[in-house]
Amino acid sequence: MHIMEGFLPWQWCVVWWIVAIPFLVMGIIELRSMMRKDREYLPLLGVCGAFIFILSALKLPSVTGSCSHPTGTGLSTMCFGVFITSIIGAIVLLFQSLVLAHGGLSVLGANMVSMAIGGPIAGYVLYRLLKNTSLNIYLTVFIVSAVADLVTYVITSFELALAYPAQVGGVVASFTAFFVIFAITQIPLAIVEGCVLALVFKYVIELKPEMIIKLKVFSEEQIAKARGDSYSLPKTEVKS
Amino acid sequence: MIQNRKLELITLVAVLGFIIVFLMVSAGGTHEFAGSDNVGSEKIAELTGHSVDSFAPLIPQWQPPSGEIEACLFALQASFGGLVLGLVFGYWLGQRKSSSTA
Repeated sequence: MHIMEGFLPWQWCVVWWIVAIPFLVMGIIELRSMMRKDREYLPLLGVCGAFIFILSALKLPSVTGSCSHPTGTGLSTMCFGVFITSIIGAIVLLFQSLVLAHGGLSVLGANMVSMAIGGPIAGYVLYRLLKNTSLNIYLTVFIVSAVADLVTYVITSFELALAYPAQVGGVVASFTAFFVIFAITQIPLAIVEGCVLALVFKYVIELKPEMIIKLKVFSEEQIAKARGDSYSLPKTEVKS
Repeated sequence: MIQNRKLELITLVAVLGFIIVFLMVSAGGTHEFAGSDNVGSEKIAELTGHSVDSFAPLIPQWQPPSGEIEACLFALQASFGGLVLGLVFGYWLGQRKSSSTA
């Protein structure tokens, strides 16, 4: 989903940087307050961040005969929200633009808006909608992750379409063209990513259900139901 | 037991399906599996009528000298993630083991 360095007119680079900066500032504020108050969540943040690192390094082949990489932002979005996710995403994108020449410093704003901000926002909205329904929580994780992945590529298409409207048909025609390149390629990858992140989430709640409950990602009943056993949460025994 | 491993099975099926689709698509030999980023850049060149090479970086950047070095750096990125992942899950597992025996 990277827009390559030099492929976006500087006016648009500035626009997307301006959009991205408030999210980064909020993210840093939230991260700082978390570091100060609840350091117990840092391992979970590590897991969420690790998945963004791993998945966004994997370039996978797709049905359209081109390669693309998943984003892995869904898990972090659900556990920590959009702002903190935007920081982790920004770190990955900065690494890739500095040492891999994937993306670049001028287009970093645009790439952050698609992968680190836009995708997570879409995922977060869906998560809030699905959170209190009776839907299986793994299915929720799947949907949130897959959509966060897919929307990232839709936004990239949109950014490019705005900068390069087609001579015939304008922004819409050129959005369709980029959508075919980026988003169609992404559909199978998004499905696999959704499955993998749902599986990771399963392992997280097997080992650390109390953390997910404390962060209010899902309610106690939902997690007990998903674990599907006669498990009772270790509220009192651990504390005493 | 089967109930507990349902999600693993679904993921396995999804990954296998993905691989099978890839094998089927690549068997034709008509696709080069270029990165969608590059395909996107070519589309930009097509829309603007300039060649891909005419898009110079706005901010000068370091390019990995070869595909091997690029692959190495990507592997580094992924292995860093894997390291953190293993560390945290191992830590949690150990924590649970020690708390249940205490």
